[in-house]
Amino acid sequence: MSTTESDNVRIQDVQELEQQLSASTGALTTEMETRDLSVWFGKRKVLEGVGIQFQKNSVTALIGPSGCGKSTFIRTLNRLHELIPGAALAGQVLYEGSDIYSAEVDPVHIRLQIGMVFQKPNPFPSMTIRGNVLSGLKLSGMKRSNHDDIVEQTLTSAGLWNEVKDRLNHAAGDLSGGQQQRLVIARALAVNPHVLLMDEPCSALDPGSTLKIEETIRELSKEITIIIVTHNMQQAVRVADNTAFFLATDGNPGHVVEQGPTTEIFGNPRDQRTLDYVNGRFG
Amino acid sequence: MSATITFDETRSDELSDQRPQAPWGRRTASFRTVVILAILIPAAIVTMLWWYSEIPKPVIMVAIYLPLQVVAAMAAAVAVRGTKSAIDAVIIVSAIGATIFSLVVLISVLWSIITKGLEAMSTAFLFQNNEYISPSTPLEYGGLGHAVVGTVLIVGISALIAVPLGVMTAVYITEVRGRAVPYVRFFVQAMSGVPSVVAGLFILTTLILTGALNQSAFAAGLAYAILMLPTVARTAEEVLKLVPDDLRTGALALGSTRARVVLRVVVPAAKTGIITAAILGVARVVGETAPLLLTALKNDKTVLNPFSDPISALPTYIFDNVAQPYPDAVIRAWGAALTLMIIVAVLFTLTRLLSTQRPGK
Repeated sequence: MSTTESDNVRIQDVQELEQQLSASTGALTTEMETRDLSVWFGKRKVLEGVGIQFQKNSVTALIGPSGCGKSTFIRTLNRLHELIPGAALAGQVLYEGSDIYSAEVDPVHIRLQIGMVFQKPNPFPSMTIRGNVLSGLKLSGMKRSNHDDIVEQTLTSAGLWNEVKDRLNHAAGDLSGGQQQRLVIARALAVNPHVLLMDEPCSALDPGSTLKIEETIRELSKEITIIIVTHNMQQAVRVADNTAFFLATDGNPGHVVEQGPTTEIFGNPRDQRTLDYVNGRFG
Repeated sequence: MSATITFDETRSDELSDQRPQAPWGRRTASFRTVVILAILIPAAIVTMLWWYSEIPKPVIMVAIYLPLQVVAAMAAAVAVRGTKSAIDAVIIVSAIGATIFSLVVLISVLWSIITKGLEAMSTAFLFQNNEYISPSTPLEYGGLGHAVVGTVLIVGISALIAVPLGVMTAVYITEVRGRAVPYVRFFVQAMSGVPSVVAGLFILTTLILTGALNQSAFAAGLAYAILMLPTVARTAEEVLKLVPDDLRTGALALGSTRARVVLRVVVPAAKTGIITAAILGVARVVGETAPLLLTALKNDKTVLNPFSDPISALPTYIFDNVAQPYPDAVIRAWGAALTLMIIVAVLFTLTRLLSTQRPGK
């Protein structure tokens, strides 16, 4: 096929138009995307053909019963999956348009831009509260001078500043579970990630701490893209712009049954299984 | 429950009169009697035998009192709680008995070392050397200062070699997780079975007889390092394994390289255990005599150069003196044993102090 000059001009016009459109609506550029992603542990296929687009500065909730591969999926997004012996995958994970699994990509660089908060709070026990917040800078070798500002800013974003500002030099292990979880959120934010993955960040927390973290998520989503695994339906409704429902049946690999705007998934699901799940009838 | 019940505020005065108690500690009078009898009857029988029989006293304690007390406890348990608790009583009383028995053994060893060792103790004994004395010289003259210097030098050299190597081996096994891990683990395990005299012989034949080294602190340090390495590596491996994987993935998720994960997160988290590994390594070798006889020989002068001359250390000092026909020399050996024990005790205390430090205030 050949393109004439006028075709080229038209293509350029269209591209400019698209750019203007996305600039005026403020979002809807795709920051991350998976294409036909399938995942194995050894010979066991645990995920099949997952294709999800994550819009820039949006919150996406991944829901589904235990064992359907949500956590596995989220760990493929910043290349933590490969740390497990016997791990394998097929398909693509695109970040800003390029495949994070291509040979020339350094996983360390990817993890620096795509941060993660885990189910169980994991502050570094050998460091103080302040040391934990700044640990990402030290571990990744980033040079920054305004350490005090970073500590205050990130702890404020994580909703922890007022509780710990007078004891920044105490051991991180002295904090309660909920405080530790907010501390590791601050730690993840200190390296300025573009995407933040959260794997059931509130599963071990009381309602008060959960609320604080949800507020934090909403606040953060003005600047970064958030992908959150949750078992709490109300939480998905409260924080997520989009939702993807994962399901694995009878030893078959998990896949995405339905995805779309959160209001649609919860208010007007197309698939009977989604309807049953979001209404608490199974899972 | 048919209706909601709310807390009755008016009862707070009445409730504030309550006092904390431990109802699980209440015993009936018959229970107390049985327990007292179960203690007194065996004690009475043993006291009689102790004073009025010809049976040797250790035999009374181990072969008569212990079984008697076990049986009495069983009987008491059956009387109070029924047959099922008889086994409980046997296990508890045997455990207490075994603990007391080992404590008695340990304390008598300690007691004889301390009482006999103190006879030798003096400033001269601790700080002088053996340069101008013979084995028959009275206690006031000469000392083991040179042997303390020797032990510190030799153990220091071996720790400088074996601790970094051992910790790095453990890091290879737990953090690098390379293909050779099973073989490395096997060899480390096998090395911990090397008899100390073989380690000494190895250094003697490969380095001393070939002319590469003198019999010296350094040569002895190498022999000690062979013995220390497996202890350090295996202990360090165990403590590194205890570091939760959450911390490793957490650090990787922050964009850390693997080297930084190990240096800044895993090793600091296991710091206490790694210091313990080093101390256990030192404690493993500090009393070894055989390798020193082959690699360090002895020297009555104080030697500071680890490469130049043969050197005495505390184990060889004890070995030399205890074999002498003079009572004062034997006392010197006890004094050296006490000194060696104090050095180890100080080391262990230091570790405890260092390792209980936590981040922050």
